[in-house]
Amino acid sequence: MKFTAERATLLKALAHIQSVVEKRHTIPILANVMLSVRDGQLSLTATDMEIAIVEEVAAMPTRNGATTAPAATLYEIVRKLPEGAQVELDHAGGAAQLSLRAGRFATSLVVLPVEDFPNLTAGTLPHRFALPARALRGLIDRTRFAISTEETRYYLNGIYLHAAETAGQRTLRAVATDGHRLARVEEALPDGAGGMPGVIIPRKTVNEVRKLLEEFTGDAEIALSDTRIQFRAGPITLTSKLIDGTFPEYERVIPLGNDKVLRVGKKEFSEAVARVAAISQERARPVKLSLERDALVLSASSPEQGTASEELDGGTVTYQASPLEIGFQARFLNDVTEQIEGDVEFCFADGSAPTIVRNAGDTSALYVLMPMRV
Amino acid sequence: MTGSGPARTERRIIHIDMDAFFAAVEQRDDPRLRGLPVAVGGNRERGVVAAASYEARRFGIHSAMPSVTARRQCPELVFVPPRFDIYKAVSRQIHEVFARYTPLIQPLSLDEAYLDVTNPRLDRGSATAIAIEIRAAIRAETGLTASAGVSYNKFLAKLASDHRKPDGLFVITPKMGPGFVETLPVQRFHGVGPVTAARMQALGIHTGLDLRRQTRAFLAEHFGKAADYYYDVARGEDARPVEADRVRKSVGAETTFARDLARWEEVGAALEPVFAKTWAACERGGYAGRTVTVKVKYADFRQITRSRSGQEPVASRQELERIGLDLLRPCFPPPRGVRLLGVTISNIAGSEPHGWAQMALRFDRLNA
Repeated sequence: MKFTAERATLLKALAHIQSVVEKRHTIPILANVMLSVRDGQLSLTATDMEIAIVEEVAAMPTRNGATTAPAATLYEIVRKLPEGAQVELDHAGGAAQLSLRAGRFATSLVVLPVEDFPNLTAGTLPHRFALPARALRGLIDRTRFAISTEETRYYLNGIYLHAAETAGQRTLRAVATDGHRLARVEEALPDGAGGMPGVIIPRKTVNEVRKLLEEFTGDAEIALSDTRIQFRAGPITLTSKLIDGTFPEYERVIPLGNDKVLRVGKKEFSEAVARVAAISQERARPVKLSLERDALVLSASSPEQGTASEELDGGTVTYQASPLEIGFQARFLNDVTEQIEGDVEFCFADGSAPTIVRNAGDTSALYVLMPMRV
Repeated sequence: MTGSGPARTERRIIHIDMDAFFAAVEQRDDPRLRGLPVAVGGNRERGVVAAASYEARRFGIHSAMPSVTARRQCPELVFVPPRFDIYKAVSRQIHEVFARYTPLIQPLSLDEAYLDVTNPRLDRGSATAIAIEIRAAIRAETGLTASAGVSYNKFLAKLASDHRKPDGLFVITPKMGPGFVETLPVQRFHGVGPVTAARMQALGIHTGLDLRRQTRAFLAEHFGKAADYYYDVARGEDARPVEADRVRKSVGAETTFARDLARWEEVGAALEPVFAKTWAACERGGYAGRTVTVKVKYADFRQITRSRSGQEPVASRQELERIGLDLLRPCFPPPRGVRLLGVTISNIAGSEPHGWAQMALRFDRLNA
């Protein structure tokens, strides 16, 4: 294998690859990046056995072949080369070392045999559909904050993606929950997704995919089976195992009869929550919402620091139901309102029942928050 | 506690203990259960008796007993699933009765509390008179019976409430205290478990009087940190205050082995009752904690602890066991014999200073 690439191009691809590389080094080859030239195309691959990321890189290939080299070292070397440098990598089939040259600099890196590099990309993925990057970003951004980090409930450690139906419209739904709150976001069902099984995409995969979407604006191609999912965004293909588990019947926790409706301006509400919550440094600090006709008082207290409260009135608050008091963790309120623009709509039942939160002008996302109890 | 000497400095403590609380609530609410041996708790293979009615106790059924054993001992035993919400509501009612007499209330669980009535809100002339009123009020307002012990410290008040159980009242006056303890077998002392009792007996200590004859140094040599407590209570003394509104920080249990443990294979069975007791205490108290800690004490009294915290409270006894055993596995084989193992659940929801507890979404239940 032999090719020449521009430093900047190579560096960017190695940076993408870096985050997937296994950092604990339990299996040495997982710390390596696979460099492969086939049919005149260079591609870089990294995997941690759960996720594999392959990037096609613009380069001038001169000889087919493949090998694996330490990803972190290669990245560091390329990073330190002068800007604009042309980097030549050369590995003779079966050789123990990969040689790298750039101008007068030369190094050789110990390689591991490409045959030992795990292949996660094999196998068929029968369900295929495309989703605009913007839509995929929306599904991820509005759900991933609710993903559970609790290892014992591994089946909640991801986003549940599945085909569903809302008001007669077929939708592609993303759902995440940590057992205290739930986020459900949907998009119109893309062609090809109708027969897909419900799959749980692991948190790390979600975050890696989200990074790829940072600089990508086209249509992301998604392919999946019962056990694996693949995202293709331009030159980068990410393949991941899925969480092997059963997502709970989440519809059960979405209340249907909540009839006490509060509408409040997002900006006013989230700023007031932040100010009131500043009284306490606890992680699970509660903010109490006290509601009366067209008036909302937010309050919080801390045994050490004192109390804080702020009143929002008819200028920004609409509430016609009977008076209500309810407490939520400040960060739960923040996480949800961050995803909302314009007006926030709360639907309450009472102070100890699940509460629905949504964007007043957009029904594609629905959040359920469990309150705190005194 | 009717003495009225002018220079009186003794405290006046009442220990109230509901009689067979969970079982009595069930018998109250379902007349068909009255007169029958009733066990509150899981009926399934791994279930544990949370409470037993007095009818069941006659068959030797007691709380924390595996349901399988209980059924074997009393085939006609009626199992009733626990209704903790109801028990908590009744417990609040009882607490309201206490609060009429004193703000100094230390609940030990849903069905048991210490009250300090040295300076009561409602003075009835004596602690005994207050205890009589409280028992009558509990009976009138909840339809349940409670036993009360009255004395000048917590140790004796608890012994007293046990003395005339059920539906009884007993007073241990300062004059009676040392004598009452003298004749008491050591295994009846709160804080003396079966293994400690056996070790005391091996040292010729059978009663409170035998215990009182030992020096502090001797007790320290044989019982370590617990020596001071034994030294005091053998004299009927106990200075621990009634801690009002004490927020429960942890729930746990431990067991000392008659023979030191060395093999991992023995751990599961040895810890079974500890897990059962810890979990039963969580359920009784309505505690949900996120952190599991295990304690290993070696033959040389040195000890280590290992703990793990989750995002969510431990949800079941199975989960508690799994985490507990996971934590212990790397500690085996141990460098020395293991004389004691303990399990604690802490980081209890609601024990945060703000007193709020995060509620959970119930995926197992349909929302209306």
